[in-house]
Amino acid sequence: MHATSRRRFLELAGLGVAATAIGRRPASAQSKQLTFLHESSFIKTFDEYFQKTLAPAYEKETGVKVNYELTSVGSLPTRVSTISETGSGADVTMMFFLLPFLFDEKLLDVSDIAEEVGKTQGGWYDSAREAATVNGKWKVIPFSNIGQLMNWRTDWFAEVGVKKFPETWEELYEVGKKLKAKDHPFGFELGHGFGDNHGWLYPLLWSYGGHEVEEDGKTVIIDSDETARAIDFARKFFRDTMLDDVLGWTDVSNNKAWYAEQISCTNNAESILWLAKRDFPEIAKVTDQAMNPAGPKGRFHIMSAISHGIFNFSPQKEEARAFLRWLTNEKQLGGWYASADTYYQPLLHGYDKAPMWDVEPRNIPYRDALANAHLVGWPAPPSRHLAESVAKYVVVDMFAKACTGTSTKEVIKNAEVQLKEIYRAV
Amino acid sequence: MVTGYGPIERLVRLWLPVGFFLVLALFPFYWMAITSLKPNAELYNRRIMPLVLHNPTLKHYIDLLTQTSFLTWTWNTMLVAIVSTVISLVLGVMLAYPLARMRFAGAGLIAMTVAAIYLVPQPLLFIPLADVINRLDLGNTLTAVILTYPTMLVPFCAWLLLGYFKTVPMELEEAARIDGASRLQTMRRIFLPLCTPGFISAGIFAFTLSQNEFLYALIFLTKSAVRTVPVGVIAELIRGDVFYWGQLMAGALLGSVPVALIYSFFVEHYVAGLTSGSVKG
Amino acid sequence: MSLRSEPLIGAARSERYAAPLGVWLDRQSVFSWLMMAPPLLFLAALVGYPFCYGIVLSLQDRPVAHPGTFVGLKNFATNFNDPIFWRVALNTFVYTVVATLLKMIGGLALALAMNQQFPLKNLVRALLLLPFIVPTVLSTVAWMWILDPAFSVLNWLLVLLGVPKPGPSWLGNPILAMLSIIVINTWRGLPFYGITLLAGLQTVPPELYEAATIDGASGWQRFRYVTLPLLQPIILIVTLFSVIFTFADFQLVYVLTHGGPQNATQLFATYAFDIAMGAGQLGLGASVALAMLPALALLIVALTIYMRRR
Repeated sequence: MHATSRRRFLELAGLGVAATAIGRRPASAQSKQLTFLHESSFIKTFDEYFQKTLAPAYEKETGVKVNYELTSVGSLPTRVSTISETGSGADVTMMFFLLPFLFDEKLLDVSDIAEEVGKTQGGWYDSAREAATVNGKWKVIPFSNIGQLMNWRTDWFAEVGVKKFPETWEELYEVGKKLKAKDHPFGFELGHGFGDNHGWLYPLLWSYGGHEVEEDGKTVIIDSDETARAIDFARKFFRDTMLDDVLGWTDVSNNKAWYAEQISCTNNAESILWLAKRDFPEIAKVTDQAMNPAGPKGRFHIMSAISHGIFNFSPQKEEARAFLRWLTNEKQLGGWYASADTYYQPLLHGYDKAPMWDVEPRNIPYRDALANAHLVGWPAPPSRHLAESVAKYVVVDMFAKACTGTSTKEVIKNAEVQLKEIYRAV
Repeated sequence: MVTGYGPIERLVRLWLPVGFFLVLALFPFYWMAITSLKPNAELYNRRIMPLVLHNPTLKHYIDLLTQTSFLTWTWNTMLVAIVSTVISLVLGVMLAYPLARMRFAGAGLIAMTVAAIYLVPQPLLFIPLADVINRLDLGNTLTAVILTYPTMLVPFCAWLLLGYFKTVPMELEEAARIDGASRLQTMRRIFLPLCTPGFISAGIFAFTLSQNEFLYALIFLTKSAVRTVPVGVIAELIRGDVFYWGQLMAGALLGSVPVALIYSFFVEHYVAGLTSGSVKG
Repeated sequence: MSLRSEPLIGAARSERYAAPLGVWLDRQSVFSWLMMAPPLLFLAALVGYPFCYGIVLSLQDRPVAHPGTFVGLKNFATNFNDPIFWRVALNTFVYTVVATLLKMIGGLALALAMNQQFPLKNLVRALLLLPFIVPTVLSTVAWMWILDPAFSVLNWLLVLLGVPKPGPSWLGNPILAMLSIIVINTWRGLPFYGITLLAGLQTVPPELYEAATIDGASGWQRFRYVTLPLLQPIILIVTLFSVIFTFADFQLVYVLTHGGPQNATQLFATYAFDIAMGAGQLGLGASVALAMLPALALLIVALTIYMRRR
């Protein structure tokens, strides 16, 4: 009998631990509370602005308390999955990349708020629509883009006689060759990271006219001369300008290489410059940012949009709507954007001339890039098939394999086979 | 073993190989240590000798302890490890004792089933388990991991204890039975107290596995306050594409210290338990 | 050893408590099943049920946050036609087999070296176990730095010896990347093998060695005919354990390369994770995870047969 009571004690202890860990669930009775799920921001002041300025202001105005729940970078998809599967845990949530499309059936239609915001704040960028609408309905309100642009070392480029960032991929290639010879190679991710690899490979593909899937979302068109040209360029770009290690890089690697002064050019969000200014001021002085080079078919950038949506199973839909409407009002949005040093690039034309852009002129290209930014997989609409092809690194590995020596024909064939299998069920 | 080697022989047979393994085993820790003490500028500098400290700083440790929830994670990890270990030991005993001492129909089948459960590694279960945990609404609670860790620990504890139990002589139990004790009393009062070394070794191993666990913690624990050290360090000291290397290494070292200490006390038992279980089992 | 039979004992005890229930509870089968019930139920609920549910999932098309639809073996067909899947299978096999072999041989070497008296032996033994007890993800982060050509001591040495700068790309070259994860896994697991085998070595009675020496056996012959056979059960157990853990490894690859470069280090566990958590395809992810089972079973059966035969 003692063995049993010992075990019971443990069970109770375990439950006690659980109870403390779970904490108290917000009581919907008395004060109204909304839970706003967000990913921890790279810029601390951004989160603080919400916690210290926006949330109290909203509570004062409406009496509704907003719980700003932060989850660490990278954990948002897991958290959103759990909430969607259990049907509880948050009312308003941040979304990014392909999440609005994976979870579209759990999101409330917010087209009315979106239309209003667009009308009053200068109109949405077209790319914003791409990132937020499913079958014409807005499922989330786009908040910002986190752009991926070129970072380059002005001092080393100057050493080879280049004062302005090259306009085209071919020109960049020539500069790279010279710089590699001087032991300042380029470094563009070709490994299994998440952002930096797509950040230059998709724009490269698009700028040569290549695409994965047609606009109809069904027809696989990766096998084309345009794709082949993009791949051939990537191969020589890798071979003649970059260090070998990039094949195994993940997102953190180019930041590391930059601060170790290993590379002279890479693509990245604003994080390299931002951290350099804080910890490596000497390097920050010679770091500049520029738009992607153009290819024969134009200049493109990747769109990695952050947005906000409302779970349609929330017991407080009306309060959530009201909150989102308030949050996306110019007064709140403007202040929140400004707190983050343009790390979040607004997708509304109304902010094209906002004063925050004047703070660090080197960030302006991130704004200009919005005009030709697209979601991965463009022009095909986002779908679970796209998510699968991204998770399986189809496009990234196609380029990477070519760079390690496989023939262009073969890598395209492989990618096509994979894509055809993935899109078979459509 | 054979003795009587001259000093040169000893060098070749003993010091060189042992030294070789020691250097191999400990070099990454040396690296962790000096990285955690280097200021950022020195860390990224490729021109200076990386193996030596030039300007040591405690900044990373301070930042780790004050700016992150590292202490919370450590507390969580210890709590989860201890409770999981206790649960696994108790359940392991309950499985192993009958298999070691009793004869009954189905014994072989049970033994095989428990061994088969070994074949079901974590990555096989994490997707359906995530669903189960969600439906029980245990997401982001320590209960989720306390419940799921024993699934990988119980079969191991059972196997280890089974081997150990078989080495314990039966006389005392038989004497107790003759005196009229029930099986339960015999087990509790006579047998189990004799098995402390076995418990210690199984316990340490379970504890180690438990604080090393990452996959379930990654999926079930997304809030900082409930995270364990492995997940906390990886998820929160890596913000997007920025690694806080100094803090990461400091966290790695601090995360290893408690376990290493515990190990140094119990290494004898751990090893003894493993061998008796496997050599005679 | 008991001279009395069960009914007699039962009769004697009936003086103490309710006889029929007490007797019944003390029957070997009843006692055993009751005692094993809680752990068996626990395992059934948290291993058996998810396992069966995992099988059900693998037969469904189940995007996250959507209900599942039964699709039969479609997921398995998808995997069959997926070139990455086969690469993953190959990787996992190679990784497991090579790392286990290295750990076994290295562990044996370590055990033999440690099987001598020397000062501070216990301290050394505890230090040697450190790679095994430190959380894998944390030591892997340290290795990330060690394997970076710009910072690696190894590359520095190689460049000194004439290898062109900056030296091999440990994580960028597909073959070297696989080698790297094998090395790190070996680094982590070798001490465990070594210390366990060492303990096994120490249970070998010295008389056997003496007898063998008298018979004229050389050091190598002593090892092969006395040591190895006696160590066989322990080698088998440790290897079984190690194979299972290595086959299902997740942490190392997740942190170090995330399956790159170009899936050269992608393993079953990380691939299933990417599909389930990255693409939200729970059914497809479950089918990849399930693929581990026959492969594992095959490995273990092969191993057991091989060892039993020796």
